[in-house]
Amino acid sequence: MILLAVLGGTFALSAIAPLLVRAFDREAAWALAAALAGATGILAGYGPAVVRGDAVVAHVAWVPGADLALSLRMDALAFLFALIVLGIGAVVMAYSARYFAAGAAQTGRTLGLLVFFAASMLGLVLADNALLLFVFWELTSVSSFFLIGGRGEGQAGATRALLTTSAGGLALLAGMVLLGIDGGTFALSSLLADQTLATSPLAPAVIVLLLLAAFTKSAQLPFHFWLPGAMVAPTPISTYLHAATMVKAGIYLLFRMTPLYGDVALWRSSVIAVGLATALVGAVVALVKTDLKALLAYGTVSQLGFLTALIGIGSPLAVAAAAVHTLAHALFKATLFMSVGVIDHEVGTRDLDELGGLRRAMPGLAAAGGLAALSMAGLPPLLGFVSKEEALAAFIEAPGPEWLGIVATGLVVAVSIGTFAYSARYYWRTFEGPQAPGLTVNRAPATFVAAPLATAITGAAIGVSVPVLNPVENAVALVTTGTDPGLALALWHGWTLPLVLSGVVVAGGLALFALRDRVEGWQRRFATPLRGDRAFDGAYDALLAAGKHVGASASSSVPAVYLVPVLAVLGTLGAGAVVWDELGPQGAPAPSLGPDWVIIGLLVVSVVGVVQARSRIGAVATLGFTGYLVAAWFVVLGAPDLALTQLLVETLTVAVVVLAFRRLPSAFTFARPSRRVTSAVVAVIAGVLTAVATYALAGRRGLSDVGAWYLSEAQAETGGANIVNTILVDFRALDTLGEITVLAVAAGGIYALLRLGDPTGLGPRWTVEDHPAPRATPTEANRKLQR
Amino acid sequence: MTAAIIVGLLTAGGTYLILQRGLVRVVLGFILLGHATTTLLVAAGGVGRRGIAILGQQGVAEQPADPLPQAFALTAIVISFGITAFLLALAARGRTVLGGDDVEQPAEPDEADRG
Repeated sequence: MILLAVLGGTFALSAIAPLLVRAFDREAAWALAAALAGATGILAGYGPAVVRGDAVVAHVAWVPGADLALSLRMDALAFLFALIVLGIGAVVMAYSARYFAAGAAQTGRTLGLLVFFAASMLGLVLADNALLLFVFWELTSVSSFFLIGGRGEGQAGATRALLTTSAGGLALLAGMVLLGIDGGTFALSSLLADQTLATSPLAPAVIVLLLLAAFTKSAQLPFHFWLPGAMVAPTPISTYLHAATMVKAGIYLLFRMTPLYGDVALWRSSVIAVGLATALVGAVVALVKTDLKALLAYGTVSQLGFLTALIGIGSPLAVAAAAVHTLAHALFKATLFMSVGVIDHEVGTRDLDELGGLRRAMPGLAAAGGLAALSMAGLPPLLGFVSKEEALAAFIEAPGPEWLGIVATGLVVAVSIGTFAYSARYYWRTFEGPQAPGLTVNRAPATFVAAPLATAITGAAIGVSVPVLNPVENAVALVTTGTDPGLALALWHGWTLPLVLSGVVVAGGLALFALRDRVEGWQRRFATPLRGDRAFDGAYDALLAAGKHVGASASSSVPAVYLVPVLAVLGTLGAGAVVWDELGPQGAPAPSLGPDWVIIGLLVVSVVGVVQARSRIGAVATLGFTGYLVAAWFVVLGAPDLALTQLLVETLTVAVVVLAFRRLPSAFTFARPSRRVTSAVVAVIAGVLTAVATYALAGRRGLSDVGAWYLSEAQAETGGANIVNTILVDFRALDTLGEITVLAVAAGGIYALLRLGDPTGLGPRWTVEDHPAPRATPTEANRKLQR
Repeated sequence: MTAAIIVGLLTAGGTYLILQRGLVRVVLGFILLGHATTTLLVAAGGVGRRGIAILGQQGVAEQPADPLPQAFALTAIVISFGITAFLLALAARGRTVLGGDDVEQPAEPDEADRG
């Protein structure tokens, strides 16, 4: 239950965060940081048990019918990710206390959303139900959208991020549903234990869908474009969501599904290939970016690719190394982003071309940035060095064909050289060299620099005392691959091949850095022909245009445009029904009587009168006459109740029409002659069809059984002599209640239309004189008449 | 036969009107279509038996009309009145908002310009 308490508490914290901010302004972030740090501590206390293999679980049935349960499970993998989520969350909160300006209007919203995101992310890594995992996954996408927010280009970036990751979210849902159907349960731990699922016929589809989800979320090729676009977000958000945690959700999913699919060729080859390609592309692009956040974003893309490929290798050693590197990356990338935020804040730019020599003005920040850059570059004694060494060892010993290990190791060395070079580029061009002229540097408060310094020092401290990680990493490998690699992390393993390769990386990186001007120039000359964000925008715009095109045929202010297709379909169906044998005329037609023909003769005149009326008085008169003729027809048919109702309603209708006419022009608007002819043709066809259908299908049988029963039993049952009345008020009273409800709703609607939202605020006035003059001028009205 | 003619006549008139410009004529067309529908409902019960379905001293009239379609038609008449009133209110409101009874004005400025 402790998991539910922590998760629920974090969600509750997100709700009260805006209130705290209202009371204490940005200082409230310290309290939030303390709360998240406390949660980190609580979960960390379960570390020894989790590492032993005793997962912490919590289970609450939520929607039992859909096999959706609020079931949480913290094994070693979830433990590692949960600590990263909460720990980095606490640091980012502390950082936010100085990042946001005092009294800024958006602080409460942003901090509340950040905590909400932390809770969602925590839920994602703890979820032990496939559908629950999806729910939290989507919550992180949505909160990311609101956190990026912004206007202009920011909005475009936020939209790209949301659409890309939610497309992946849908794939995740589809994949999890397929997997759940295949496995007969949605309990994730049971599914993962069922090895038959890996070879089931559905497995390839599930794999493709889950990989789509992981690749979109973790910005792998070809979906990497959304991540740099999301950098328009404020730095705490870039740090937390787009470097340390949310983009790791895809990595987490890959980790999580490895027990099931780690040995499947489709899974393995896709993950390794996509990961390596992404790592390479990200590193190359990062070499040329001058916007520090863009540089770091492409660096993140590259590192995520590196992690993806490492998980794809899938050996216990590789998975353990990936776990170490996940932690290392979270620490150094958070430091780097927070440093950039400080620079942006105090210098006013984050463009490398305008920066330089900041070490003298900001020694503390330079230390933090330097430590993180060293870790990212993979130099001892930092954590990044340890994880890179282990990763290289894992690539060298990759299971499978021999060429795989060689090719993968070669590519990883190339990626690492690039990583070293852009790390050096970041540090050198920001903190070293001459300070750019005209650059004014404000003094950053110590509390502001504390956060990046804390993560940097943590990374260094863990690096120096790296064996403390051994139990956790080995436990992660054990739950993921079923084998404990017995990894003993250390800074010094002796003269091994990975160490030699590290030397190659340093040498190559230094060379690349030394030639940086030439490399940049060379890269800029070859502009990338295909850009993901442009391709996305093109597809997005094309989709919208296509939707508009499709919708245009059904989007008109001309009612006839909608009505003609409806009439055509109804007419076709009716004609078909008449022609169709089974529905054709059965029984003798109903006989006609003399008075009927009189009514018909008069109806012809009155209907033509309504149709042709040019003035409202003429229309009302002929309309009323038509209604009374219908009433007369009911009298002839032996339906006095109908006739009475019809008379009353017709009188009321005429009264309402006259009232409405006080607000309407005295002459009608007429359509063009061509349209009148078309309408007449359609009308005649409709009339003939209905007449034929009525003649063929209606009234060709005796009294209905129900009708006969009413006639014989109604009086005994109800005591009423008027059978129609007894039906209305006794047998089908509910229908009558519905009818009254319709009237009440219509009355409410009419009241709202006429009385509410009246710009004059005076309500309806039923005289033409009082009414505001119509906007259409007489000449316009005449022109319409002529048309 | 006669019921069919009446239904067809009212349908043709109503259909013509709802295809016209101007909300009021559309509403008039709707009213005619309402008549057509109630007439059709009654016709479905068979217009051959025309005895009034009210029990007198001597019991049921000879050849009584089917009371059930009549009850349906009665409900239909009242409901179409409610809708008619609502449509007229819409038309009246539209006059204030659009400056006229012609809903097709704003979306088709080119047509209006051509005159």
